[in-house]
This record gives sequence, structure tokens and C-alpha cells, in this order.
Amino acid sequence: MFCSTILTPHALIHLHLLPSLQAPAPRKILRTGAVNSASGSAYAEFGNTKVIVSVFGPRESKKAMMYSDVGRLNCNVSYTTFATPVRGQGSDSKEFSSILHKALEGAIILDSFPKTTVDVFALVLESGGSDLPVVISCASLALADAGIMMYDLVASVSVLKIGLGLPFGLGYAFQSLEARQFWIPEVSSVVHGVSGEEESYQDGSLMITCMHLLVMRITQLTITGEWSTPKIHEAMELCLDACSKLGKIMRLCLKETASASQE
Amino acid sequence: MVGLSVGEKHFIQGGIAQDLRSDGRKRLTYRPISVETGIIPQANGSARVKLGATDVIASVKAELGKPSPFQPDRGKVAIYVDCSPTAAPIFEGRGGEELSAELSAALQRSLLGGKSGTGAGIDLSSLSIVEGKICWDLYIDGLVVSSDGNLLDALGAAIKAALSNTGIPKVNVAASASSDEQPEVDISDEEYLQFDTSGVPVIVTLTKVGRHYIVDATSEEESQMSSALSVSINRLGRICGLTKRGGAGLDPSVILDMTSVAKHVSEQLLNNLESEISAAEACEEES
Amino acid sequence: MSSTNTSSDLSSEMEVDAFRRLFPLRFHERHLLESIRPDARPLGKARDTSLALGAVASAHGSALAKIGCTTMLAAIKMEVMTPTTESPDEGCIVIDFHMPPICSPIVRPGRPAEAAPVVSKQLSDTILSSGMIDLKELSLVSGKAAWMAYLDIYCLDADGALFDAALLSAVAAFSHLEIPVVSLNDDGRVVVVSEEDAGKLEKEAVNKEKRKLKLSTISFSLTCILHKNYILADPTAEEESIMETLMTVVLDSSFQLVSLYKPGGPVLACTSAIQDCVALTRQRVKELQKILNEAISDMEVD
Repeated sequence: MFCSTILTPHALIHLHLLPSLQAPAPRKILRTGAVNSASGSAYAEFGNTKVIVSVFGPRESKKAMMYSDVGRLNCNVSYTTFATPVRGQGSDSKEFSSILHKALEGAIILDSFPKTTVDVFALVLESGGSDLPVVISCASLALADAGIMMYDLVASVSVLKIGLGLPFGLGYAFQSLEARQFWIPEVSSVVHGVSGEEESYQDGSLMITCMHLLVMRITQLTITGEWSTPKIHEAMELCLDACSKLGKIMRLCLKETASASQE
Repeated sequence: MVGLSVGEKHFIQGGIAQDLRSDGRKRLTYRPISVETGIIPQANGSARVKLGATDVIASVKAELGKPSPFQPDRGKVAIYVDCSPTAAPIFEGRGGEELSAELSAALQRSLLGGKSGTGAGIDLSSLSIVEGKICWDLYIDGLVVSSDGNLLDALGAAIKAALSNTGIPKVNVAASASSDEQPEVDISDEEYLQFDTSGVPVIVTLTKVGRHYIVDATSEEESQMSSALSVSINRLGRICGLTKRGGAGLDPSVILDMTSVAKHVSEQLLNNLESEISAAEACEEES
Repeated sequence: MSSTNTSSDLSSEMEVDAFRRLFPLRFHERHLLESIRPDARPLGKARDTSLALGAVASAHGSALAKIGCTTMLAAIKMEVMTPTTESPDEGCIVIDFHMPPICSPIVRPGRPAEAAPVVSKQLSDTILSSGMIDLKELSLVSGKAAWMAYLDIYCLDADGALFDAALLSAVAAFSHLEIPVVSLNDDGRVVVVSEEDAGKLEKEAVNKEKRKLKLSTISFSLTCILHKNYILADPTAEEESIMETLMTVVLDSSFQLVSLYKPGGPVLACTSAIQDCVALTRQRVKELQKILNEAISDMEVD
């Protein structure tokens, strides 16, 4: 359906991090070069979450900006009116824009484009949960596609914590092995089919954005809800593991695009 | 921002490396905290917190509202922070907007828990009056009067103090027969319920300068930071929210180390803050 | 015309890309002389077009249309509303065209693109006035409830001929649209029945099952550039920026003229040019009808 036109078959990458317990793993697609008129772009589809990121620049900074000997990064995340089940206003998300900025700026070599600005614009076509991590990972692919110098790609992953009595009755989701398997696919998208709804039941969430080439470097971390220290350790480990897997897949995606363009 | 010469920068960094900061503090020592409560008579609760030259005010206003259909048994809380243009030259015009939004988001993350509302520092179920019909809406407003670094910790402390100063009027619900109609309520003028703030966390921001991290950084020190981690921790030592600032990447083990240091510091801060709050309230009652 | 002379002298020595940037008009005109365009198309040929229905799961009807690189995503959401007193047995369609900053380097956040409201108006004029959709079909209970269809079209990649792609995606979204099942609840209010409940709750389903909207006629369009004596069908963004006179013809499925739009421009079109454009559009409508039918049958197979 959607993929058959916007995606070319050779670039389709299905990531199966682990077989899930209850339903087939949601479809996951990453592809660069979705928007032709941008310097670089990427499309990501994780379950029902569908995101397009375009990168423009480096181009002239706004006239009002002062001289700067390092480059500027400008981020914007917006939603379509039909992204959410209830028709929204299609507004910009200021909070997401600022988190995206913080997650990316540590990875980009800003010295490489002094006096100019790189614009990173994201549009969430459909919100199916885990929107922000998908936007961040997709944006880093788009930056790579645009040829912006970076220390490394950043991958972003979030986990939710769900208490007792909620949809799956798993208790603290990280405690059992069963839960662990359940959460891994969840890590990079949101639970099988239930998706967005799931997020409203969460007791807490943890989102990590990191680079993962030689050493792990966390560029952005946010936690909500009440957590004990061991739980944080466990959740972070889970996320970092998923981040490095996601990072490998992102690398593969870039390599495939590069080899396809050479042919 | 603060304009510093190379020498000054070097002095600040060197001092932090030797565990003796330019104002004589150690790396993990807070500036003296002063708390004043009940400073805004119209609000249900208010407090002013001074942390060195950083000066913030928090106020709590309670209004009757309708709970959201997804969480009929809980009240709602809105947190909004404003940076006064008098606090720093960069806040003039629209300059403070971005910082205000960032602080508001960080405070919401720290105090309101997950989306289901569990694990929130503010007990939202205590704000419910009639399930699905009426609840209290708390409007928490923060104002930065003067800025000398570490705004988030100061705002967190001010909100905690303002909440413990908050009295919510007692509400009598008239027993109405129909399930569809909005029940009639009677707000008492005399009886107030004290708001339980034992679960409200404190926020500890660790600022990383060079290889070391410091608490309660002044704005001069903040200008030298590579990244900062704000952790909110409650009485039980549990982490209720975490926000990272600054672009530089951190090693996962450093983050875990920082959270455990923050936890350690938070105990002292909580004790210190709670004794200051009770002293301030005693002072208010006397006057 | 000294500059023209220099450029023609230079053109033999310069690299093609540099020539294209420095003398865009000459670059294109040299192609036109050979009756070919820089992307190897003949003048009257439109770019490859593809269509996918049901691209957005959260909408009641949706479609993704691609003409060359120009990409449009259209989605329809249905909501129940109370009809106006003037037309108690009619529903309502609200059409919005968006150009988010991702689609083109000229659009920045907070500053909407100039083209967006123009295309938006053209679209609603075309769709609402052509009688493509009978608004009476959107009525549920006369005077009480009717459907409000929100059609939002997002431009994901802007590379010329925006209106053509937007209209194609809109038409495709309407042919994919499934009107949800609704029933009357105890208060006499109309509620949307969710899929799980549909089996057991057979109270008073106003419409028994999901149904398709009947489209009485389907219109398609073709935008052409008029430059000197040439007519270029389906221009790219580059061509649109260099040669400014555009003409858009909208024909319905029986090739009757729905709308003709020529917003000024330095080239004054003569009757024969208009007739040529209409003839090209006729060809294009046949192509697009085939593409739409294929997309619909593809979806039914799935």
C-alpha cells in the first residue's frame, strides 16, 4: 500500500528486533531520500507511527541573526491534522522541537558550517506512539542523507513502565523475562496494534538518544514517572541495547541507499 | 550570556577541579536557601525562594473544573513558568520564551509523573470531588524574578513550598438524583484542607564542568557547562523525573553515577528545605 | 542582447550544470528547440504518476498521489454535525491544503507558503462546484445530523504542478472513503459505532454498514506552461520558476470543462493555445482514470 509507491523495494528494511509474544512485530521501515526538493530527507514507519523529516541547508541564516562562527541548527516538529484519532489542529509541537534540537546538536559538527543554518523539519503523518524517538532517529538519517557532518548517527528509543492491573497485567514490565521480551519490540515502536492508547496508560517513560560508534554517548535523556534506581539501570540497559541495534539498522539503510545510487 | 575572559573561565574551571568554587563552596554544597511563604494573598498558596542571587516566586491557584474523560477520578494540574524581563537582559522581548517553555516542560516532567498520573509528586486523586464531574484544577505559576543560575532547582523548591502553603477550600456536594446533571457544590469559606506535600520531590541539577559535576551552579558556572542533568527525587529516594540539558553526550555510566550523587544530595536538600518551609510558615502565622 | 551572445559563446565551453544555473532560460529554450525537456520528456507528456489508497490508517479515507517528485497525501476524517437550517438535509465538506516546511526550501515554519491558500481555494471551488459529491448523500437524519467531511491535503514534496497532484489525491481519497456506521443512542444523539460493537449493537443503525460515497463525476486536471509558442504539460518546479505563464484545465470524466485557470503571466494565450491545452488535458484525463481504476482494484485485491 503506502510503501509500494513511496518506497523502493531495495531500500525496504524490516527490523525484527525480537519476535514478539502476541502479534506479528509491527512493520518497520526506514528509508532516506523521501523528499526530492530537500537537501536530505528520510521516512520512517514504526508500526502506525509515520514520520517524514527534511533537512535544508546549510543555508544563509536569517538576516536578524548575529554573526556566529559555528553553524546553527533549527528544528521544527509538526503534526498533520489527521495524525491523531481526534482531528487536531495540525499544530507545531514546541516541546518536541526543543527536545529534537537538544538530541541532535551534540552529534552535529557545527564548526563545519560557520555562519549558516541547517534546518531540520519533521512532519508526523500519523501518530501511533513513540513519536519523538522515531522523529529523532529519522532526523539523524536525514542529516546523514544531506551530507551534514556528524560525529555519529543518533538513535533514539523509549520504554514505558506499566503498573499492575493494566492492559497486560505484567506488573513492573521489566521484572520478568517475559516482560523483557514483550518490551523489546515495544522499545522502538508501540505495543502491537494498541499503540497510542497504550501511552495514555503508562506510569512512566524513559527516552534515550545516543550515539554508538566507538563509545556510547547519551545526547538526550528524559524520564517521567516514579522510578527506583535499579529499574532505571535496567531500563537504560534495555534502551541502550535497542539503540545500538537500531543504529546498526540505520547504518545498513544508508549503505543500501549509497550502493543503490552507485549502480 | 555572561561575558567572561579566558582568565576568569580558567579560574572557575580550576576552582571546580580543586573542589573550591569561586564563592568558597565545595562542589556539592548548595547556596543558603531562604523561603518565605504566603506572599500573595489572593492565591491559595504561594512562596518565594531565594538561592543566592536567584530569586523565584511560585503561586498556586485552585479552581473548580471538569476532569478529563480519560481520568475521571483525578484533578488536573497546569504548570507554567514565566521569566521576568527584569531578571536578566536576555529575557527582554521574546527572549525568555524559550527558557520559560523549557523550564515549564521540565517541571511538568518532574512533578506530574507518567501520563496515567501515577508516580506524580502531586497526588492528583486527592483533587477529585465528584468522579467524572467536578475536580480541582491547580494552576501553578512560577515567576523568575532574578536569575543567577540553577533556576530549575529553585522553582522546584518554590513550588514545593507553595504547595505546602496551599489550603484548598472544603467542598460540600449537594446530593443530586440525576446522574446527568452537574451536581451543585458549596465552597466553604472557613474550612481549608491542607495539601499533602510529603510526596512532592525536590529537583537536584548536577552541572558538568570539565570532568567534575557541581550542584547549584551560578550563571557564571553555568556558562562553562558541557551538560547538565536535572533529577527530581522524592522522600523515598525514588527518581520522579529526569531532564538532560546541554548538547554534549554523556557516557551511560556517568549518568548513573550522577543520579546516585543527586540522590545523596537530595536528602540533605529535602531536610534543609522542609525545615526552612516549616520555619517560614511559623513566621507567617506569628505575623 | 550582448548577454545572450556571450552565453551562447560560453555554452560550448561550459559544463552543463553551470550553464543551467547561470542561464536557466537559455538552457530550457535550447531544449525546447529540440522538442525535448531537460528530464527527457516530450513537451506534451506528463511525468510518471502513481497512486496508493489507504495510506493513513487513522483516517476514514486517504490516498497518496505522486506525479514525478511532487507528492501529496490526502486524508478525510468524518465527523457528525448538526446541519444548517438553510440546508437541513445536506452534509458539508471542508477542504484544506497545507504546505508544511518539509515540502520545499522556500517554506519556513510560522510563515505559510504563498501558494497554499491559492491551491486551497482552487481545490474547494473545483470539488464543491463540479457536483462531484452530492451533499445530500452526507445527510444522516434530516435537520438533526449530517456528516462533516474534513479533507486535508498535505504536500510532502513540492516539485511543480501542485494543483494537479492535490486534486488527484483528493479525488482518490474520496473514492477510498468509507462512511462509518452510526446509530442513535438513547438521547437521540448520533454516535459512531466502533467496529467491535457493530455486530452486537443493532439498535437503530442509521446506515447499516460501511458504505462508499457515490461520486457522480470525477474531475482531473492538467497544468501546462505557455512559453512563446510552446506548451509544456505538467511542469516541474524549476520550469515553473523560469517560465511563468501557467494554465490549468480541469475536465470531468465526460471531458466537459469544469474549470479553466490562467492567472495572468507574460504570455497571452490565443484560442488555439487554449484548445491545445484542453486536448492535452483530455489525453491526461484518460491516463489518470486508468491509474485511479487500477489503484482501486489493487486495493480490493488486498
